[in-house]
Amino acid sequence: MTRDNISVIRLRGILLVTVPPEPDDETVSSFQEKVLDVMASNEPRGLVLDISTVQTLDSFFARTLMETVQMAALMGTPTVIAGMRPDVAITATLLGLSFGKTLTARDMDSAFDLIVEKTAEDLSR
Amino acid sequence: MKTQSQKQATVGKGERVPAEAPSHQAEGSLGSDESYRLLVETLRDYAILMLDPEGRVATWNPGAERFKGYRADEIIGKHVSIFYPAEAMARDLPRIELEGATKTGVYEDVGWRVRKDGSQFWASVVISALRTKDGVLIGFSKVTKDLTLQRAAEARIKRQSDEILELATPVMQVWKGVVMAPLIGSLDSARTQQFMERLLNRVVETNSSVALVDIMGVPTIDTKTAQHLIESITAVRLLGAQVVLTGVRPAIAQTLVHLGINLSDILTRSSLAGGLQVALNILKLEVVAKSRGLKE
Amino acid sequence: MTLRLNEDFPINEEGDIVLARRLVREFALQRGFGTMDVTRIVTAASELIRNIYVYAGTGVMRVAFNEDGARTGMELTFSDQGPGIPDIAKAMEPGYSTGKSMGMGLSGSKRLMDDLTIRSVVGKGTTVIIIKWRSK
Repeated sequence: MTRDNISVIRLRGILLVTVPPEPDDETVSSFQEKVLDVMASNEPRGLVLDISTVQTLDSFFARTLMETVQMAALMGTPTVIAGMRPDVAITATLLGLSFGKTLTARDMDSAFDLIVEKTAEDLSR
Repeated sequence: MKTQSQKQATVGKGERVPAEAPSHQAEGSLGSDESYRLLVETLRDYAILMLDPEGRVATWNPGAERFKGYRADEIIGKHVSIFYPAEAMARDLPRIELEGATKTGVYEDVGWRVRKDGSQFWASVVISALRTKDGVLIGFSKVTKDLTLQRAAEARIKRQSDEILELATPVMQVWKGVVMAPLIGSLDSARTQQFMERLLNRVVETNSSVALVDIMGVPTIDTKTAQHLIESITAVRLLGAQVVLTGVRPAIAQTLVHLGINLSDILTRSSLAGGLQVALNILKLEVVAKSRGLKE
Repeated sequence: MTLRLNEDFPINEEGDIVLARRLVREFALQRGFGTMDVTRIVTAASELIRNIYVYAGTGVMRVAFNEDGARTGMELTFSDQGPGIPDIAKAMEPGYSTGKSMGMGLSGSKRLMDDLTIRSVVGKGTTVIIIKWRSK
């Protein structure tokens, strides 16, 4: 699996990154690189990480996800993890993985709404 | 013959009167040797045997053959330790039991025993010292009950009652986008996982944004249950749904604070109605009373 | 690459992790384990395979099935000849980590599966056996 399997779309100023179903470690690492690359060239107002097709979320993947979220936050970009499957959510919890205060949404649609809401909130402060 | 005052408490169990060797009475009457023999022969659910003072098998009954597997001719004369598994032998259990029975009159135990074919079964065992009227030890009686079936039945009943409990507490959709899951009793690891599965699947099925977890049916809460509860809430939130913990009674609130459980980032309410209100707020919905007559 | 039951699947490079995961998933599905169980098994396997790769460099995985009366068990064995674990009790604590991975492989896998046994000798290596049952 290569970087080509990671699709990045920019919609209404928000970056939407879709992660492939069973990413190997290389794909996971390059996913992080790709996201940061794209963010460097255009400042998005939000980042949506779509993991709706991911079947196995192990500690390595979780750590990479969280690093990406933290890096984006440092650059002032709110991130939403979207589409986590129920069995993946349960497994992650049993495994003890922590996603901290990261925003989560059930699908890309809600993720978008969440970012719009959050940026409006931030602006009004 | 030991008097009451000479008896000591048996190992963890109640006091018993040492068994006397059956007295000789007229044959054919109840209480006669013949009728005792009939009693022992017909009890098939119990292995009833007598051991000599050294612990070797002296008598054997059909029940014993049935669940230990040996015929009388192959077992009489063998030492009782043949029925004990390796771990029990390592702990010197046969000797401990016989000595216990000798000292206090009766020794009771529950544990694994071994059949002729090597398979093990869970058994309840009572060993009694048999003495003549003068107190001379003439041997022991050993009564063994096979608890395997009982144990399997108990496990089955527990499983079924767990299933009934789950059926009785389905996760319900109480509004568009809101589900409610009542919790009854306590949460062990297995129940938590089942609970999480049901709740999360329902949240996804109904596309809900809010899940009300009602703990009115949880009488007391300990650290384990609280941790499992928090886990369940964490899992739901990963799906992008918000959780409101409802039915938090004062006693439970007090326990949680005393246990140092941090629920500060979880929405909670003491009543289900309060929880529903929060849910509607989250969904930006309002319940407005219909006006009854002329507009004001 | 095929993996047969009761055969050693070598773990030597990073790419073997996702390959092994796929094979475990296929086996589990084939034997009738449900989605929730499959996710648990594959995730636990992923953690333990990763532990081998990170701490020992190379090792093997073995898949077997136990038929025990009314139930079927999927048993996965992970062995390596790596440095071994000096304090197993500590390693089983959630959140414990000495190396690159998050170190929750052992404690997490124990929670995901029905049983976890571990044998480790410092300087010799480690073997972890996990099993998940389903009723027939």
